[in-house]
Amino acid sequence: MEEYAIDIPVEPPKELRSLFIPIPPDYVEDVYKSDDFLVLVGPQHPGSGHMRLIVRVKGDIIQEVIPDPGYVHRSMEKLAENRLYIQNIPLVERPAIMDAPNFNLGYIRAIEEALDIEVPERAKYIRTMLAELGRVGTHLYDAAILAVFMGHTTGFMYPFGLRELICEALVRVTGARFTSSFIIPGGVRRDVDDSTFKWIYDMTLAMERRLKSFERIFVKNPTVIARLKDVGVLTKEEAIKYGVVGPFLRASGVEYDVRKVEPYEVYDELAWDMPVSDAGDGYSRLLVRVNEVGQSLSVVRQCIKQMPEGRVISDQIAEKGEDIRGSFYDSLYDLVLPSGEYTTLTEGARGTIIYSIISDGESNVPYRVRIVTPGWLYLRGFMESMKGERLADLQAIYGSFGYFPPEADR
Amino acid sequence: MDEFIDFVRGGPLGPIKKWGTRWSLWPVHLVTACCGAELAHAFACGYDGERIGALNYGIARQTNLIIVEGAITRKMARVLRVTWEQMPDPKFVIVMGACGLEGGLFWNGYHLVKPSDVVPVDFFIPGCPPTPEALLRGIRQLQDKIVTGEAKTSATFSEIMLEQGRKPRVLPKSPKKVSKAPAVLVNVPKQVEWEFGEKLVEELKAKIDAKSITITGKNRIAVKVERDYIPKAALKLRDMGFDHVKNVNVVDVPNEDKFIVEYHFSSYSVKELMPVVVNVFADVPRDEPEVKSLAKIFPSADYLEREMHDFFGVVFEGNPWTGRKFLLAPDAPEYPLRKDFKLEKEVYVR
Repeated sequence: MEEYAIDIPVEPPKELRSLFIPIPPDYVEDVYKSDDFLVLVGPQHPGSGHMRLIVRVKGDIIQEVIPDPGYVHRSMEKLAENRLYIQNIPLVERPAIMDAPNFNLGYIRAIEEALDIEVPERAKYIRTMLAELGRVGTHLYDAAILAVFMGHTTGFMYPFGLRELICEALVRVTGARFTSSFIIPGGVRRDVDDSTFKWIYDMTLAMERRLKSFERIFVKNPTVIARLKDVGVLTKEEAIKYGVVGPFLRASGVEYDVRKVEPYEVYDELAWDMPVSDAGDGYSRLLVRVNEVGQSLSVVRQCIKQMPEGRVISDQIAEKGEDIRGSFYDSLYDLVLPSGEYTTLTEGARGTIIYSIISDGESNVPYRVRIVTPGWLYLRGFMESMKGERLADLQAIYGSFGYFPPEADR
Repeated sequence: MDEFIDFVRGGPLGPIKKWGTRWSLWPVHLVTACCGAELAHAFACGYDGERIGALNYGIARQTNLIIVEGAITRKMARVLRVTWEQMPDPKFVIVMGACGLEGGLFWNGYHLVKPSDVVPVDFFIPGCPPTPEALLRGIRQLQDKIVTGEAKTSATFSEIMLEQGRKPRVLPKSPKKVSKAPAVLVNVPKQVEWEFGEKLVEELKAKIDAKSITITGKNRIAVKVERDYIPKAALKLRDMGFDHVKNVNVVDVPNEDKFIVEYHFSSYSVKELMPVVVNVFADVPRDEPEVKSLAKIFPSADYLEREMHDFFGVVFEGNPWTGRKFLLAPDAPEYPLRKDFKLEKEVYVR
């Protein structure tokens, strides 16, 4: 077919400036001239999440996606420099409140590494159990949000019904549905009694049964498979190049899990598998996480079965008594980390969480806290995976990554 | 037209309109922060907000209610206003979360605004995050407001009279100790049992022209180089099997008049190197903060460099986004993570 060039003067729309769209006008001009379109997705859109994607499409094939993050940037790193070490415990779990135990754990481990605190075995088991409950909760949350993105209401309702059980378990253990701040330097805030463990044990069994019907309803649903299969493929090389993390990296065939390569807490004493897929598409990203839920529930059960007796707080922190309650502030407000940089890697539900605390050795506030969240690390890979797909698949890919802007922006 | 509006609102049809509005408060879906997780619970099967006539709806043009879910940043405030303006009359606003009240945990953050400065707010729901029960209670209160016309708090507390002639309370001192002249070192050596690490340090010493190489912990190595040497060191590390950048970090040290720019390298493809994090860092003078970008060699460093440029104003030469804001709002303060940018201090009040 012959192409006709039409000589129409093009000017980027004036709204570009007033709406603060962070792309240069000559880029827009270039888009106009090359007969492409710019589609602005977000920040207010029917799915969940609040970032803007600037999508360049030719026909309906995505050429390039430019992210505009920062809609939930709450200046966490600056605030952390101005607070006591223990005041930062609730702060650092706010990036992803459904995954609070993992975020909490990473920060506390950095402090413990600096101060060489030995954590009692029982506390380690309770921490591992909490972290895995957080992981199950987050994977269910992401599955539900994926369902919202694809317009599958039952697929949204079902995981949130199951999440209520996780919230209930966290309430029974810590007293809060989401943001528990239960893990503190040296152990956990208080002991957990046997009836609670029994309840959580039974809950994991009940959840496993209900997960089977969720798989029937949503995961094995032909519509879901049709929307996700071979969509948003990241090959192994690409995933490594763009530094993708967590289940999304494992879905591309890289066997990397911080819990396996650099085991912390009691992960090396428990038996669990690392689900890996080679496909690298949206569906494998969902499947890896569905399998991880099963593994995590098994880890929770193992923790409860093998739970040792003893203290839940290190004697380096609480000398008197076996409980930190009542003396929390007095024993912990004056933490001074020795000079140096302390970096910990933690496997959160969505991937590697990096905390880097830099201390000057004299202050009881950190000199600098660097928080790198999984969402921020896989954002690049997420953008690259959309290239060459159809515009209608954008939502499915977005959902399959479980991108949670508060986590990415901090 | 005005007569018509008055007729609909106050005429014989008024109660019907109120009834209709009351039971169809579909909030527009603008998730602004992490309270969205509890909002989702409130409208999922556990609490089922739909039974009181509220369900999230995709676009603002057919909704009367907007639920502000927690913190509003400078960037989001504009969006909130635009969305609110799109809503038809009557417009109601419910703000959930402590961040929406006074800032909550983030009250002196440089990137936060109060939602009440942006839109008129009908109800606040405190909590961090508020439970779904509290949110549904807020919606019930709004329904009452539509009928009666006045906003009432649903939580009442008995009033306690202050004692007369009480001595003023002595306020405690701030427990913070901040060093006046901090010595910031990122390569403090640490004794660890790590044979592979010693071998790796030898290998690094042979390959990289470094000022110093130290083991700072198990699986952690710090390599100090000249700032122009970072790309070369990165290429050498890539040949050794380090294939991605985990973290780009900048530390501002004003009393030594320098920035410390750090790159954390790690590997996904070589099994032995997977847990190892090599921190390649260099001192950069504060008045001329320029380093060469690694975005071309390691695409995984691209967004991290952009972020550090926003925070500290360190110029990464060769990064395609240099000079523009990526994460921060256009009206956010310049280089907020530098130490000379001070936040408002928290104080004890009576």
